[in-house]
Amino acid sequence: MKMDYLYDGSFDGLLTSIYYSYYEQRAQGIYPEVSYQFNMFTPSTVIQSDPVLAARVYDAIDRKISVYSLMQIYYVYLSNNSAKENLILKYLQLGFQLGPKIDSIHSHPEVLPIRQTAKKVSFEAERFLGLLRFTDTRNYLYAVLEPDHNILILLADHFADRLAGERFIIHDKKRSLAIICNKKDWYLSDFSKEAAIPDSETEQFYQELWAKYFTGISIENRKNKKLQSHFVPQRYRHNLVEFRKSELL
Amino acid sequence: MWDSHAKKKGATRLYRTYVCFIHYPVLELIGVMSMGTLEKLAVLADGAKYDVSCASSGVNKHNRDGIGNSKSFGICHTWSADGRCVSLLKILLTNYCIYNCNYCVNRNQNDIPRASFTPREVADLTIQFYRRNYIEGLFLSSGIERSPNHTMERIYQVLDILRHEYHFYGYIHVKVIPGADPALVNKTGLLADRMSINIEQPTEQSLKLLAPQKTLPVLFAPMNQIHHQMTQNASERKIFRHVQKFVPAGQSTQMIVGASKDSDLSIIKATETLYNRFQLKRVYYSAYVPVNEGPNLPALSTSPPLLREHRLYQADWLLRFYSFKADEIVNEQSPFLDTDFDPKISWALRNMQLFPLEINQASYEELLRIPGVGVTSAQRIIRQRRLGNISYNHLKKMGVVLKRAKYFITCQGCYYGGIPAESALVRQALTPVAKPVQLCLF
Repeated sequence: MKMDYLYDGSFDGLLTSIYYSYYEQRAQGIYPEVSYQFNMFTPSTVIQSDPVLAARVYDAIDRKISVYSLMQIYYVYLSNNSAKENLILKYLQLGFQLGPKIDSIHSHPEVLPIRQTAKKVSFEAERFLGLLRFTDTRNYLYAVLEPDHNILILLADHFADRLAGERFIIHDKKRSLAIICNKKDWYLSDFSKEAAIPDSETEQFYQELWAKYFTGISIENRKNKKLQSHFVPQRYRHNLVEFRKSELL
Repeated sequence: MWDSHAKKKGATRLYRTYVCFIHYPVLELIGVMSMGTLEKLAVLADGAKYDVSCASSGVNKHNRDGIGNSKSFGICHTWSADGRCVSLLKILLTNYCIYNCNYCVNRNQNDIPRASFTPREVADLTIQFYRRNYIEGLFLSSGIERSPNHTMERIYQVLDILRHEYHFYGYIHVKVIPGADPALVNKTGLLADRMSINIEQPTEQSLKLLAPQKTLPVLFAPMNQIHHQMTQNASERKIFRHVQKFVPAGQSTQMIVGASKDSDLSIIKATETLYNRFQLKRVYYSAYVPVNEGPNLPALSTSPPLLREHRLYQADWLLRFYSFKADEIVNEQSPFLDTDFDPKISWALRNMQLFPLEINQASYEELLRIPGVGVTSAQRIIRQRRLGNISYNHLKKMGVVLKRAKYFITCQGCYYGGIPAESALVRQALTPVAKPVQLCLF
């Protein structure tokens, strides 16, 4: 008898469900507990996420498949794909059969969706290394973003290294999460911002300089708005200083 | 005794606030900087925007108790209305210039607003933009104000402030001023990540026509110097790990396309020579945007040859990643690139006797020669076929563009093109069809 496993949404929870799928009953599917639709035909159990069991699965993937595959499923876990748990489950089932060979297969129906989804996530994370804008609020730097995927954790190390002497907050408004960093050490936390934080005295000045620079740098004879929106989709623009300001200019 | 100790403590604290003040001079500077900084930035960014290079790639650096780092894949921060990426703060130190190059917007005889930044203004602006994550670093170019040495020295000062005072580990690209003293180039190169000298024209004749004060040997001298010092630096670093890196992200250059009568053949030949002789990281092409009037220049109404520029970049990619030779891309019989087809298809159509290739047997080099197969998909094919035969249905999933590739391949012995693999027929099948335009009633 197969079973639907419901987990708490954490990566550990997902790996624990995969553990149970091997050592208890086979999983029909894995779903987040909050959004699960109960049905008459498949029994379901709620899984308590267990860091020890999760670590065993984590190590097994690393040892028996590859680090690359481990990274890929982590990226997929961060994606907004609604069937991501089942994609990961099927991929791992194949992976434990084939071993590291699975990394060389691209067009297999269980592998391709993983590659495509992971690419979307890593692409968006890479994009936001550039498309993030900090404002100086006297005490710390504050940035807000609304990404499609939950990429916050992929940005943290980069900015913690880059702005090692600063304190900053990177706020994912969509998911009410934030990276909070105090000079090199960072942690991920639930976060919501009610009141507007006042800018430092110089903030407006530099924003204006940047917006002016941004409008000036484009060459009129080469104007290509379509190409621009290919690189900077409309949905990102309201958090970008230069697009907000240059509309007013 | 206690008293003197307390005094000492007080003294240290005073000293500390003083240091902080030096490191964050923003508040004090704002009074000085806001006076015309906006206007200056507008003028000096305008003068620099025709330089196309904007890469921030080629070097990995960590932050060591300062500000900034670099990623070797390069990071784009925004895209301007012409669709070009903005990665570095691209500005001129000054747009005063003693030269009078015909194609240049900053040439001596032009009556345009002129301005200069002080090295400290540029450094402060860079840091302030950088910590807000507007930019990945600095691209510093300059008009030649008094003499090449004077300008190069000022460029060095900017780098000196950024690297030694602010401990900035972000990306810096500087232009080398042709004719500057090699010692100056050397000491700037130890602080910069990438350096470039624009040769602007592929041949001596067209350079003479458009930039009478410049000659190719003068432009090649610093390129040669940088190339030699980079090789020397690399061999030194094999023995002594802590030798300071010299221009770690390599050098690049730029050629203007469409200002002179030069053919694509001479441009691509020149490109190949530059890659082989100086091991350049990149050669950029800049479609000429008419900014000046002159007897040797295209009319002001000419639009920039964007398609030609695009085809040249495609050819450049073939040289760098697909191990093509310049002779294979263009030749004396057809010195210009085909506008209808990309250079790889053109080459394939001229060499139909080599095709169709069997996907499951062709070598990596052969796979790269198939139109519609790129570096990524070729690597995927190589890896996946070790585990089993690849069928035609797999190819699309692996990123092969079958629309083009199908005429040039067989898969497990089958040919899927539908028409005989002959040059004329395939050419006809691949010719782009003009898109139907919705007619307007009014």
